[in-house]
Amino acid sequence: MSFALLSSCIEDQDFGQYDQIEVIPTYEASLLYIEAPESLVNDAPTNVAFSQNFNFDAFSSKAFSERVVDGTITYIVENTTNKEMSITVELLDGDGNVLDTEILTIEPAPAAQLQRDIAYGDSGKSINIIKNTSSIRVSATNLGDNSTTSDLPEPKIILKSSGKFRVRIK
Amino acid sequence: MSLRQLIITALLWVSFAIHGQNKQLLYDFVEIPQAAMINPGVATDFQWYTGIPALSGISFQAGSSGISANDIFANDGLDINDKIRDRAISSMSPRDELSGTFQLEILNFGFRGRNPDNFFTAGMYIEGDAIGYWFRDYAILAFEGNADRLNQRFDLGHLKTRGELVNVFHFGVNKKVDDDLTIGLRGKLYSSMLDFRSTKNKGFFVTREGQNNIFESTLNADMRSQSSGFNEVRNAADNGTLGSVLTKRALFGGNLGLGLDFGFTYHLNEQTVVTGSLLDLGFIYHANDVFNYSLKGDTTIEGIEIVLPGAVSNPDTDFWQDLIDEVEGFLPFEGDRKKYLAFRPTKLYASLRYNFGEPLDRRANCECGVNASRNSIRSKYTNSLGGQLYMVNRPRGPQMALTAFYQRRFGNFMALKTTYTVDKFSYTNIGLGLNLQAGPVNIYAMADNLLAYRNIAASRYASFQLGLNIISWGRN
Repeated sequence: MSFALLSSCIEDQDFGQYDQIEVIPTYEASLLYIEAPESLVNDAPTNVAFSQNFNFDAFSSKAFSERVVDGTITYIVENTTNKEMSITVELLDGDGNVLDTEILTIEPAPAAQLQRDIAYGDSGKSINIIKNTSSIRVSATNLGDNSTTSDLPEPKIILKSSGKFRVRIK
Repeated sequence: MSLRQLIITALLWVSFAIHGQNKQLLYDFVEIPQAAMINPGVATDFQWYTGIPALSGISFQAGSSGISANDIFANDGLDINDKIRDRAISSMSPRDELSGTFQLEILNFGFRGRNPDNFFTAGMYIEGDAIGYWFRDYAILAFEGNADRLNQRFDLGHLKTRGELVNVFHFGVNKKVDDDLTIGLRGKLYSSMLDFRSTKNKGFFVTREGQNNIFESTLNADMRSQSSGFNEVRNAADNGTLGSVLTKRALFGGNLGLGLDFGFTYHLNEQTVVTGSLLDLGFIYHANDVFNYSLKGDTTIEGIEIVLPGAVSNPDTDFWQDLIDEVEGFLPFEGDRKKYLAFRPTKLYASLRYNFGEPLDRRANCECGVNASRNSIRSKYTNSLGGQLYMVNRPRGPQMALTAFYQRRFGNFMALKTTYTVDKFSYTNIGLGLNLQAGPVNIYAMADNLLAYRNIAASRYASFQLGLNIISWGRN
């Protein structure tokens, strides 16, 4: 036993490697879903069918904003109305200043759905836009008429969105 | 050294490192008094013994069934992040564990009764024991996230851990029933200093294609953690009164419990012996300084969902806060201080031993009893060969180890025991134990997994035991 203990060996270890550990997982989840029936579009007094601010503190919360590295927001627009529609998504900071704007224009039904991926970080727009976003304003503009209706059942304009971000935990 | 100093010294061992330790080398090593601690029914021939306080029994064990320090920290030029990914996250199973235990005897003594067939033992020891299973799905979520893992369920049940620091007072009776059978019983009073456990977690987290939005995230959880002692100890650390608080908690000021040990030794014939013991069949009732947390419920979200025109009828609606409130409503995270019962990690030992070679001179005073025929002590033999079984109950079910052993005695002066053990930590565990008897002074030292000393960093298991006693056989 003593012989074993005295003759014990240890391969070269480098515990300094601990500092090189990087924990940067990628998380994804849905952000915002809005649907509006064609009747709402037709009944709007102007061609702006709706415009609404939505509080969204997920991005500006410390747990996220201090750790986010880069990522992508994906927008998907589905239009089953018979009008060309324009969806404007604005990311706003706490004072209501517009940090980023994305305009998504989609043809009338039976248009294919529109998908757009917006990158933030080194390969895209500034990640500070995401870090400072505390609300999202969504506006829908009718670029067609307001008297006819689609033949499709329950015609709607739908905005879907999701975020996929890398977050540095260590 | 005062009792308080002794306890503080013992606690330093906890901070150094902290599984019911398989003491296969010590088991049925009848020359060592501490063998009675793992089989109250051990065949003993001492008239009396006393351990040197704080030095009579020191044991430590640490094991990792899935990975070693060398796997991660070897200076091999590989990226440590790749090593963590390949050797831990991708390779380890939720049944892999990191565990450790230590035991430090503060007091241990034994004496033969008026009826020489009865031998009594008593004492106090501190034991720390902790185990954590590899929380694989949590590690995947932490290191890689949930992105591009649609429909993959992350199992919340992978969080399974428990640990405790307890002071144990014990008193045992060992009775030689006849020439063939010795039985033993030990009562234990546990004084828990610290305890934590989170072992019955269920649930999952999954990201699927959404029904409305792009993704839906579902969290289904039934999780609970229980702890006692930590709040008081933390406050004591802040106030500089850690030593006195721990001493108080060790001396019945914490949470109390009761336990029993059973054991026997039976001679099938002159040279063949079968033994068995059941240890720590007991519980601790945690009623003092208890803090529990639970997360129970089920929720599925697809982000903020707004269906016009109804959703904006109230322009002040805060949809984000509504979402948070909804999640917290369906999945409440709550704390409570409910008392709880914690069962101790019960261990089982069994062995079959064949003695052969020259019988040794008897050391026991065989003229000490009035009934000489019942008080006869069997001779030890130069050699012993056999097998042992060890089992301990763990959060993921019993763990088992099988041991083959050979013991060689060199007169009454020295005895060596070597073991080969197979368990979940190693298939190459060779151990060696040495017992020296110099007059009344008894010293023993044991270590196993000796082959791992070729590269200690690559070892997944390390264990040692040592102790110092004074023994009398009643001969003057």
